[in-house]
Amino acid sequence: MNIALAGLICAILAVASKKLSLPPVPAYILAGLILGETGFGVLKGDEVSNSIAEAGVIMLLFYIGLNLNPGEISEKKKTIFHSGLYDFVINFTLIYGISILAGFTHVQAFLIASALYISSSAIVLQSLIENRKLMFRESEVVIWIMVFEDIAIALLIVLNNPESSDLLLFMVKILAFTALTYWLSNHMPRLLGILFTRDDEIPVLLAFTAALLGIAFEEFFRIPAGFTAIMLGLMLSGIKNIREIVLPFKDVFLVLFFFFFGISVNLSSEGFVDGLILAAAAVAGKVISGMITGRYLFRSWLSGLEIGLDTVARGEFSIFLIFAFGTGKEVSAVTTAVIITSVLGAFLAKNSAKIRNMVSEFAERRFSSTQ
Amino acid sequence: MVRFIGLEGVGTKYELETKSGDRIAIIFLLNRRIQIYIQERSCDRPCSVELTETEAKRLSSVLGGVPIEKERESVEVDFMGVPDLTLAMHTYTITKRLHGKTIEELAIRKRTGANIVAVSRRGKTIISPPPHLIFEEGDIIVVIGDKEQIERFEKEIMGI
Repeated sequence: MNIALAGLICAILAVASKKLSLPPVPAYILAGLILGETGFGVLKGDEVSNSIAEAGVIMLLFYIGLNLNPGEISEKKKTIFHSGLYDFVINFTLIYGISILAGFTHVQAFLIASALYISSSAIVLQSLIENRKLMFRESEVVIWIMVFEDIAIALLIVLNNPESSDLLLFMVKILAFTALTYWLSNHMPRLLGILFTRDDEIPVLLAFTAALLGIAFEEFFRIPAGFTAIMLGLMLSGIKNIREIVLPFKDVFLVLFFFFFGISVNLSSEGFVDGLILAAAAVAGKVISGMITGRYLFRSWLSGLEIGLDTVARGEFSIFLIFAFGTGKEVSAVTTAVIITSVLGAFLAKNSAKIRNMVSEFAERRFSSTQ
Repeated sequence: MVRFIGLEGVGTKYELETKSGDRIAIIFLLNRRIQIYIQERSCDRPCSVELTETEAKRLSSVLGGVPIEKERESVEVDFMGVPDLTLAMHTYTITKRLHGKTIEELAIRKRTGANIVAVSRRGKTIISPPPHLIFEEGDIIVVIGDKEQIERFEKEIMGI
């Protein structure tokens, strides 16, 4: 697989999607689908493209960890919990239930629910910035929901891990690793900070290695790479420079991941139909959970509608979970649902003000006519 | 009253409400751009602008009420933690008449009370220049001092 060619295709798509103010993620996946097994079969994945794809998701999760500052999170834990609770409970159970009804097994349904519960932080936060919504109180709640979901991912990776031969040992390893990284997070900036302020190649080399260390941990200690990457990021979150160094690597590798993922997926028609149903449930779930959250926090259904419409888009995390743990037709279903909800979500977030006005007018008319 | 809040993955937000009930929000994005929202009390939707770092600095100078000219400009710095403290810094370009002289020789501090805190020479910045630094024509100097000290500095040293 020619990496330069993949990069070029993605660069062109990125320019085009920015012009059309659409999220680029579904474009990368679609291009991969069209050129790969599902479509014309011109391109095939190989070992190199698989490694790059793996590096892409590991860097994404490491980056998420870097942005989860334990100190700041624990300061806001109440706000984050109250914002993210309904989002988790409603969306997870709804998607789980629909998946069971659609004939998936419990394990598959759990994976699909994990994947499609989580919104795309990248699309959601970008659209808050681009649509100039940062002044609103609803936007703050949306941001807290994203933080809640970032934390939930770590848990969902562990719960979806198929390595269950010795569950007790596995849980002990996870807990020991979590405790160790949490404890080290208080000392890392002091111990390693100096290494990352040098002006030679050492900071870049170290940051790059740290970002990929999760993969090595999986091989040696049999704990999921994604989880390790988040925790390592969290451990190093006190060192500001790492974020800046890792960002460009993450951007490049993640884009290639979406494209290579698209190439490797063999989209089945059966999975596609399931995907359509799941996409509908995914959109409805977020709108409902948003409205309930808004009602709960601000006593306003309309505020809640805004929260819901802003969080519809699914993306990188859904694809990551299904890439890491999916095997059968659930891959097709989730991929389809992600492509639909990401585009639709960007559209809904952009037009949320209009939709809110329409809904409130409609509600008023209904209300006055029944009087 | 300013409210300050960190927004994970987005940036930092400052919110303030004026006495008349108008609202302003300023968000420093992670990509170093700055979004400013203003909302009139009677208006249900805010207006917004997005600025680069330089534009934002310009705006802060304008809001600080200081003259903006290329040759002579000044910047006022306020500290959130020390509300009563305002520092004004002024810039001047060294003219031919000061070329070749040192800070010591001019006895700037003794004669005027003002202090030179930085010199910018051909794109390089010298912070806290030593007293034996020799001025060159075209140097841009940053001077700190209260109103009277600055007036004396302009009159006695710069000859304006």
